[in-house]
Amino acid sequence: MKDILQLTTDPLDIGEIARRVVPPECGATVTLDGYVRQFTKGRETLYLIYEAYEPMALKEMKKVAVAAHDQFEISHVSIVHRLGRLEIGETSVVIAVAAPHRKAAFTACEWLIRELKRTVPIWKKEVYADGDEWIEGEVSARPSQV
Amino acid sequence: MKVNVLFFGVTADVVGKRQIELSFERPVKSGDVFRQITDRFPTLNDHRLLFAFNQEYSTGNEIVSDGDELAVFSAVSGG
Repeated sequence: MKDILQLTTDPLDIGEIARRVVPPECGATVTLDGYVRQFTKGRETLYLIYEAYEPMALKEMKKVAVAAHDQFEISHVSIVHRLGRLEIGETSVVIAVAAPHRKAAFTACEWLIRELKRTVPIWKKEVYADGDEWIEGEVSARPSQV
Repeated sequence: MKVNVLFFGVTADVVGKRQIELSFERPVKSGDVFRQITDRFPTLNDHRLLFAFNQEYSTGNEIVSDGDELAVFSAVSGG
C-alpha cells in the first residue's frame, strides 16, 4: 500500500489524515499531532514560519517511511508536514501509522518523528515579540558533514 | 560548467539570496564547491551546516557536473 507523504501550506485535519487509509488487516492507527507551542523555555512565541527544501524533503520522508516498514510490523504510514506561517496551537506535522497491532504502531510513530526531526530538510523560524530566530537542530543529530 | 547552490532558512538570510550560480573551468568535488561558499560567506560557519548534492545528503566527494544542484543549510528543525 502506498504511503502518504506530503508537504502543504493548508491547515492539517489530523482525523482525516489518520483515517485516510485504514488497511483491512489493521487494528490500530497511532497518530502524532505536532502543533505550535506557545512557550519554549519560558519565552513566548507569537507564530512560526516553516520552510522546506521541498523535493529533498519529500525524498527524505520517503526514506524514513521505507526504513520504518523494514523495521516494524506496520502496514501504512502517512506523514504530512505543513509549511508557511502557523499560529499557536495549529498542527505542523501529522504522522499516522496503521498496524495490525498497536505496539508496532506506537514504536514506529515515535521512531518516525525522531527521524523526521533529524533528517528531513525542514526549518522553523520562531517569531517572538522582540525578534525572530531560525531554529537549528542538534549537533549530534547531523546526518552528514563535509 | 555551471552549478546552482541553494540556500534555505538561516543560510538564505546569511547569504542574502536563495540561489547562487557558480562556474568552474575544470572538474571539482562537491566539497570544493561547499568550501568556496563558506570562504565567501564565512559567517555561515557560525551555524551547524549540512550539505546536499542533487537533493541527497552530500559526502563531499561527489564529482560535480554541469547543472548539478547543491545546497547549504543548517541542521534541520522540522516537526
